[in-house]
Amino acid sequence: MLAQSRLGKTALRPLVQSRNLFFLPTLASAATGFFLRDSIRLANSLEDNVNQRKSSNDVILEESEIKPYFSRPAKKYPNHIPLYPYEKVAMFVTSAIGAFLHPEKNQYIVALGESTAIPPFLKRLRKQMLDDETGRQILKDRPNITSTSLDLDKLAALPENTFGRTYYEWLKREGCSPDTRVPVRFIDDEELAFVFQRYRQCHDFYHALAGLPISREGEIAVKFFEFLTLGIPFAGMGAVFAPLNIRKSQRDRLLTIYYPWAISSAANCKKHLINVYWENIMEKDVNELRDELGITLPPDMRELRRIAREKRRALQANPSPTP
Amino acid sequence: MFRRFFATATKGANLVSDVVIVGGGPAGLTMASSLKNSPILRDLSCTLIESGDITSTLQDYYADPPETILNRCVSITPATIEYLDKIGAWKFVKKARTENYDYIHTYDGLTGAAMEFDSPDMATMIENFNIQASLHQRILELNSEQPVNPLDLRDNTKVVKITRDPKTSWPIVQLSSGDSIKTRLLVGCDGARSPVRKFARIESRGWAYNQWGVVATLKYKDSGFRSPTGWQRFLPTGPLAQLPFPDSWLSIVWSVPPELAVVLVSLSDDSFVTMLNAASRLSQEELDSLYDLARDEPEKLKEEAEWRLGLFNDNLTAEQEEKFPPMVESLVPKSRGRFPLKLSHADDYVDERLALVGDAAHTTHPLAGQGLNMGQADVKSLVSTLEKSRERGLDIGSKFALDPYYSERYPYNHAMLGVVDKIHRIYSTRSPLVVWARSLGVDALNNVPFVKDLMVGQVSHMKSTK
Ligand SMILES: Cc1cc2nc3c(=O)[nH]c(=O)nc-3n(C[C@H](O)[C@H](O)[C@H](O)COP(=O)(O)OP(=O)(O)OC[C@H]3O[C@@H](n4cnc5c(N)ncnc54)[C@H](O)[C@@H]3O)c2cc1C
Repeated sequence: MLAQSRLGKTALRPLVQSRNLFFLPTLASAATGFFLRDSIRLANSLEDNVNQRKSSNDVILEESEIKPYFSRPAKKYPNHIPLYPYEKVAMFVTSAIGAFLHPEKNQYIVALGESTAIPPFLKRLRKQMLDDETGRQILKDRPNITSTSLDLDKLAALPENTFGRTYYEWLKREGCSPDTRVPVRFIDDEELAFVFQRYRQCHDFYHALAGLPISREGEIAVKFFEFLTLGIPFAGMGAVFAPLNIRKSQRDRLLTIYYPWAISSAANCKKHLINVYWENIMEKDVNELRDELGITLPPDMRELRRIAREKRRALQANPSPTP
Repeated sequence: MFRRFFATATKGANLVSDVVIVGGGPAGLTMASSLKNSPILRDLSCTLIESGDITSTLQDYYADPPETILNRCVSITPATIEYLDKIGAWKFVKKARTENYDYIHTYDGLTGAAMEFDSPDMATMIENFNIQASLHQRILELNSEQPVNPLDLRDNTKVVKITRDPKTSWPIVQLSSGDSIKTRLLVGCDGARSPVRKFARIESRGWAYNQWGVVATLKYKDSGFRSPTGWQRFLPTGPLAQLPFPDSWLSIVWSVPPELAVVLVSLSDDSFVTMLNAASRLSQEELDSLYDLARDEPEKLKEEAEWRLGLFNDNLTAEQEEKFPPMVESLVPKSRGRFPLKLSHADDYVDERLALVGDAAHTTHPLAGQGLNMGQADVKSLVSTLEKSRERGLDIGSKFALDPYYSERYPYNHAMLGVVDKIHRIYSTRSPLVVWARSLGVDALNNVPFVKDLMVGQVSHMKSTK
């Protein structure tokens, strides 16, 4: 991004990033521009007959008017923090290590999410929204999900079988609120930043639909499901690496119950989840919604954990005699 | 064979002409004016056959040109203008309906890499009819100057069959009017499907580009003065060219896959304009979605495309604004048309008593605007070849006398077809590696004025003869 803005003529280069090798043209044009800029300027000024009439001081003065190589570009939306490419790399590395060692620390997860949400993936997500009527509506409305926008009191008053009430009960059980989501800050394109924010804000709805807790295990299961349905690389990384770092009993539960659930639900999923206007279907019957989307309800994770825990305790209390 | 010839001959007149030109397109009319303009060749008897109704339509155009710019337009080079001037036709051109543009802005739909060409008087936009009408006027003028041996222009007449005289092996063209003409030299200016080439069994090699060129005449929103600029955006579906005319008119050639061409041509006028504006600005992903919408739910297209354009334009700085063509405001009703695009090149341009000129010999992708220009250079070369052999006392119809035309034009045309084809291929891909390499190439080229001048020189100033 930055390399481009210093070459005035390629200022529109963000388009480039739709390619898989999105960074190569940037690098290449920067390199060409860099190697050729002096000779080009000299050639141009010779052609225009300007050089002869100028003292070397003038030339130096003129050169200093050229934009400095490192100036932070302007913000594209209020929360935006534009980063240099090397900063993005550094953010990715530190947040990946941090998230692996301290998955409980939200800041690492958030940063990792943003630094892996590189434009090609976000653009694909946006493309899927553009191809869908509801998706387009969401892009136009730019809804922001908060406890006020959802009106939690209203959700609490909905009949028990509704999606809104299910979501409300889930929030209550897990002790969280829609306001805990951190705003997107590091994604450079304003619309893509919204797409990522939307993805992030919808995450809890999947939890609620599947009734999965926000424990590490539940998180991994939902992330895996997200990766399969939305193709967000960060979610996939979580699904692959995070299980390396949890207790064996948890891992077994994931591999035998929740990964198969994620795979079959994702395979049967009838609508691209980014194109679900969750806010507008709060009053829908939750089972009907699951059917419509093709998502089944997996076994209750909290319940399974409780049973496993009790078994373990029972085992510790009176260890069975060795056969 | 003799009997059949005899049989038809009894119906119509049995004529003889030194030269018969088939086709009254730009190439055929130029060929005719040039022959009649040449002091060395003008005494030859010469007939032009055209199936369409050209004398009255071209006369109407000349006497009372339409209010809007017609949809068939070409970009012509200074070399072409010089030649039309030399044969006395350029003075009849309606200059107010042409536009010189010395600046063409080429940009890449996937990467935004841009390349600007500028060179004084690089090219001129002109309606095909403007060229043809002025050639027609020149022919009328020449005929009035030489009333004894005028050009015999027969329009509304189709060549239905070509045979060879069994004794002399001169070609005989059978006309839809029933007449037949035996000729010393048959010149095929009869376009891409050339019946003359087929008659001579000259193989034409090449391939269809899986693209159609959608053409139309439109008008830009009045956005203050901008120096006339040509725009060409290379999209993976094919290039989109916007070419300037006076009074904010523009002519487009939008090359797209056949299915998309059908969709674009069937859109409502308004939706088409919005889609065009979108195609000159938005990203490929957005365009792909809009194309789907245009196909499946065209009634929604305008609103959605306007929304995307609004977003795009809001984020544009004044400096970036310069890198895109102005917004188009309206389309001339019924001005949309579409033409299949193909590359083809005849193995030979000449045979005993026969020569091929213009699209009959070669067709190319319009992205470089060279088709008609190549045909003009063919005419120039063929006429000077004929002049030389006449001066040397050769039989102008013999293959021996015609060969220098082929050897002069074939290599040049072949190189041009090849270069245009390469550009087409490089830009019609979405392969990331090629996309990257071409941006690198374009960025490098744009930074080295010398190379660019060379390219512009190649395209616009190359003279056809030494
Ligand atoms: C979309 C598009 C954009 C283009 N843009 C450019 C450009 O910017 N610059 C450029 O230089 N070129 C351009 N071209 C190419 C250019 O239009 C052609 O090269 C040019 O028109 C060819 O002229 P021609 O006289 O050889 O053939 P044509 O124009 O095809 O003329 C052939 C004539 O022969 C007649 N004919 C055929 N068969 C018979 C028959 N049996 N009996 C009697 N008459 C017959 C036809 O009626 C026709 O009038 C473009 C082409 C397309 C399709």
